[in-house]
Amino acid sequence: MLAKLEHVTKRYVKNEGLRDLSLDFPAGEVVGVLGLNGSGKSTLLKLLAGLLFPTSGTVTVFDGAPRSKRANIVFLGENDALWPWMTPSDAMKFMSNLYDDFDAARFTGLLDSLKVPLRKTKTMSRGERGRLRLAMALARNAKLYLLDEPLAGIDLISRESILSSIVQEWHTDETILLSTHEVAEAEGLFERAIYLREGRLALDVSAESLREGGKSVVDTFREVLA
Amino acid sequence: MKRFSTLIWLEHRRNWMWSLPLLGSLLFWAWGIKQVTVMDVGERLGIRAGLLAGAIAIGTLVLCIMIGRIRSETRNGQYQVLLMSPPSGYTHISARFTYAVGVGFTYYVAIGFLFWWISALAGIHFDARSLVDLILAMPLYGMSVGVFPLLAYTLLLMVFVSAYRISGKGWIPGVVMLLGTPVVLQWIGNGMTRILWTLPSWRVFENVPAAVYEQFGQGEGYEFITSASELDYTGLPIEPMLLMLALTVVFLILAGRIWQEVEA
Amino acid sequence: MINDKGNWSIDMSAGPIFEQIAKNVHQMLARGALKPGDKLPSARDLAAKLNVNPNTIVHAYNELEAQNVIEKRRGLGTFVREDAPVTGMKKDMLHQAANAYADEGRQLDASIQEAITALKEVWDVG
Repeated sequence: MLAKLEHVTKRYVKNEGLRDLSLDFPAGEVVGVLGLNGSGKSTLLKLLAGLLFPTSGTVTVFDGAPRSKRANIVFLGENDALWPWMTPSDAMKFMSNLYDDFDAARFTGLLDSLKVPLRKTKTMSRGERGRLRLAMALARNAKLYLLDEPLAGIDLISRESILSSIVQEWHTDETILLSTHEVAEAEGLFERAIYLREGRLALDVSAESLREGGKSVVDTFREVLA
Repeated sequence: MKRFSTLIWLEHRRNWMWSLPLLGSLLFWAWGIKQVTVMDVGERLGIRAGLLAGAIAIGTLVLCIMIGRIRSETRNGQYQVLLMSPPSGYTHISARFTYAVGVGFTYYVAIGFLFWWISALAGIHFDARSLVDLILAMPLYGMSVGVFPLLAYTLLLMVFVSAYRISGKGWIPGVVMLLGTPVVLQWIGNGMTRILWTLPSWRVFENVPAAVYEQFGQGEGYEFITSASELDYTGLPIEPMLLMLALTVVFLILAGRIWQEVEA
Repeated sequence: MINDKGNWSIDMSAGPIFEQIAKNVHQMLARGALKPGDKLPSARDLAAKLNVNPNTIVHAYNELEAQNVIEKRRGLGTFVREDAPVTGMKKDMLHQAANAYADEGRQLDASIQEAITALKEVWDVG
């Protein structure tokens, strides 16, 4: 098992929490983490990234504590940001010197295919910043990718190219967890869909089996979470 | 090493603007020194030295503000990027501290030069050995005793507060540390006076007392300086320096340890 | 959501994607958009184009291989077999469409003459 949560509860003062959540993530899966705002999607991903610690229960990634495995985990947060003065070339220096698994050539290629301008991030639009951070994430050779709302606030064309890049760069032994509101566009990527409602697991199912029943992942979203 | 130097690079890109107020401070105090036009040489020197004391304090304040900017990083999401990066908390803390020390040392060496200047204006001349003492040893000593522990303490405080940020109780450790500081300082002060002068002291400015005597010993009002030897000058006590260095290391280690526990 | 990239059309609510991909290949062969001996895009390329999981395309290609429609040639890629049953496909697809039409007609209680007339009327228009 690449990663797992065992009876994990996370309590907060004001943010979303998780309640007694148990999940297994084998290698090679592309998983959609779906739910309304406040359902715990970000919390789940951050717990796997080691940015949060559970109030109770255990989170295991690569047979260890997530924070200690951060060199092998890619976390693309909704709120994490680069410094406003950073250019993609600064980002490349940052990543290649701090991460052993960073592929600079792939990064340059992704900057090109995602059409990231070569300027300071403070002069970039939100979509351009998002694409830059995605390029940084996908240029790494990790085994676990945690993408928290990578499509949020991003224009349609960028979303398409982001999803396409994710498909291109994914290798069959890598696991991707992708949380999103743009379920409709991303649904094709998911082999597995996890639906969270108020911090609990509402449904954990294979996407194709949903479609066998004539329902898309989006249709099920409305059913399970409305 | 590559990781450490990259973090230093990051610190520089983040913080280089703070060198500007420091430069401004140096220019301001230098200008202020020129403005002192009191007639009596000794008094003039005294006032100018006082101005430089102000420069020293300002420098320390600016450095502490510079190093303590973790809170804004937390808000802007950059702290998350740092937490997820491979270097350990100790490496991150060391890089921040090292950069601040580098900037600070440059600043205090410059102030050392200003001291040399005001002394020259007062007719006190330093021989080569004493000049090195003034420009290098004094900043080192002064930073070890004052700036290092303050910077390390600021880092520790900021990381400590960030560790509790998510639970919304960040103010608790902040208050604890602020209230506890006077107590700790008092304890350190007591400890220092008790163990002072046990270790051999750092003999700086060996020839300066003689130079001061030369300049001022003959004049009126300075009869109390009858001979250089009577100044009973033994150098700088080493104990406070060692104690403060040890304290600095302790704060840095704690800050690095708590960094590993921060949630974001 | 319907994903329409030229020849490929996927409706997320219309059954498993791999089945739809396979069906798309059938349709392309029936229409002549694909011919026996043509090379199919690699699983990854097609997946990136359609924004679906590459495993799904692999599943579809495996299915088509089992149906003897396509074959993998080592080192070269995936190709439509020279002996792929194209004429049969066209006939099957027409039958499928006809079945649906016939069901509709029976529900409306129409006669076969009415059905043929209606078909003729729309045939050239569409």
